[in-house]
Amino acid sequence: MAISLSESLHIGFSDIMTRKVRSAVTILGIVLGVMCIMVVLAILSGMNATTLSWMEESGGINKIEVGRNWDYDFSKGGYASLDMYEVNRIRELIPEAKAMNPTLHIWDAQLSNKGTTYDGPCLGVMPDFQIAENWQIGRGRFINLLDLRESSNVIVLGSSVARDLFAGKDPMGQNVSLNGVVFQVIGIMEEKVWMNEAGSMWSGNAMEYLNQRSFIPISVAMNKFGGDKKVDGIQVIAHNPTQALALQQKLKGILLNIKRGKEVFRVSSAQEDMMQMEQNAKIFSMIFVMISVISLLVGGIVIMNIMLASIKERTREIGVRIAVGARRFDIFIQFLVQTVLVTGLGGVLGIVLGCAILDLVGKYLKMPMVANPSMIMTALLVSVGVGLVFGIAPAIKAGNLDPVVALREE
Amino acid sequence: MEIIRTISMVKDYDLGKVKVRALHGIDVSIDSGEFVAIMGPSGSGKSTLMHIIGCLDSPSAGEYYLESDLVSKLPKRTLAGIRNRKIGFVFQSFNLLPHLSILKNVELPLMYSGISARKRKAKALDILDGVGLSDRLKHKPNELSGGQRQRVAIARAIVNDPSILLADEPTGNLDSQAGGDILEIFSNLHKAGNTVIMVTHDPAVASRADRIIKIKDGLVDNGDLA
Repeated sequence: MAISLSESLHIGFSDIMTRKVRSAVTILGIVLGVMCIMVVLAILSGMNATTLSWMEESGGINKIEVGRNWDYDFSKGGYASLDMYEVNRIRELIPEAKAMNPTLHIWDAQLSNKGTTYDGPCLGVMPDFQIAENWQIGRGRFINLLDLRESSNVIVLGSSVARDLFAGKDPMGQNVSLNGVVFQVIGIMEEKVWMNEAGSMWSGNAMEYLNQRSFIPISVAMNKFGGDKKVDGIQVIAHNPTQALALQQKLKGILLNIKRGKEVFRVSSAQEDMMQMEQNAKIFSMIFVMISVISLLVGGIVIMNIMLASIKERTREIGVRIAVGARRFDIFIQFLVQTVLVTGLGGVLGIVLGCAILDLVGKYLKMPMVANPSMIMTALLVSVGVGLVFGIAPAIKAGNLDPVVALREE
Repeated sequence: MEIIRTISMVKDYDLGKVKVRALHGIDVSIDSGEFVAIMGPSGSGKSTLMHIIGCLDSPSAGEYYLESDLVSKLPKRTLAGIRNRKIGFVFQSFNLLPHLSILKNVELPLMYSGISARKRKAKALDILDGVGLSDRLKHKPNELSGGQRQRVAIARAIVNDPSILLADEPTGNLDSQAGGDILEIFSNLHKAGNTVIMVTHDPAVASRADRIIKIKDGLVDNGDLA
């Protein structure tokens, strides 16, 4: 004989409509709380998207990098460099890796072409460099094994280098001089661009520094420029993220072995960085979600008080309903449904407003803000949950009213 | 046929430190189809008696049989059903829900019976037509006169075809003209076969009934036992 849910919803909705101003004030806290949750979740997902696209563009999440350990006290001895024999040995020890590329930086490189000069780092690399950096050749070809074996004086230019050094003329097949040694241009790298959708956190292309580099076979770099003929960095690419973490550990061990226990190299993996970033994001989001939840709790307490006051005011109505046959449970449900409706409505409004201000906030923070269905579901569930939690006490109170007393109430 | 019987019915109110006895052992019997007036001065316990008869309250001691069911043995949910289907209340202050239209007010008991919206509306329209208010359906109670409001309340009380109509000072808030109209409606309902129990302190009103039960200090005064 209980009244149906749709009946309760109908009663609740018309109650809200007859007390519009009160209902509006009641849901304000929920609207703001849900809006806050929406914005926070959007910021977080925007940050994740930004991080992921950066990772992808700079070699993917399977990348492991070996470089100088800046935390190591070099006064204790040791050098953060490897000779070619050691590099080959490492490659033999990690046959499971998809690619491995050692690099030798020539930091003071100066390129010149018929009087035009260009200062930018030149890197001695191997053919795997392209895989390691996830970087396609734009024109011509990249350095191959033959160049390496023959120690050919060939050079691949970054797009900015090519543009500045040749001023619109075709650099392919031309000769350039690198710190006095003549090289033939065999290729130009594709331009690396990484911009944010909503403007940029940094101004301009965040990967422009890569376009300012040029590349020669590592054997040539060692023979002609490397004073100590040492490799100062290695990039390794794994087949998958899990393998990347395993390879990272393995490489640490191998390098410690080679360097006799001196931790002169730092071995980092994109996977580990990302886990760290996810961890940070998790802490960050926990804090913000907690703030939002507190604001929702405050909203819930406000609602509970208003509902309690409203029940006090509607005591006689409750008495009448009981007199004409409402069960206590019907009264309980009526008020619970009404509270949930109010908070649910607040949730929907909060979601709508939240979506509306996402763009504004995104522009202000200069990052992409993404609203997705799961966020909307979360916001909706949370607002309905607040209604359930804070609606219980008033509903119990209403359901327990003594009808005789309630009917006497003025 | 006997529809109501109370045996040595007692009602105590617990007011914290003191217990107040409102009913001191009431024995009444009312037959189906009777028009009974319960009379008594203010504070005599007549409203308490009516609340118990209407299953809004329960006796502290003694027995109350409604249609030969011992009411104190019935579970609460059954009591709600009894209030809904067997009892129709009419109050002195009308007790209409102010935010609902006349039509919705009359539909209210039917809603708690689980009757479909379409059937409810048809039934309520029919009853409102019977009390001459079919042109006021969309009005809110405060847009009606006192007499009209009480007619709405009567319509609400009878919409679910109850066995007993309980009226607590139904003319108390009305002028004599409107009060007379309301009493006429009760008389007609009685003639149509309804059991009507009316609480009043006004002898003129009580004279419309077949029988008067006088209550004084929580006891039946005229010893009118079946």
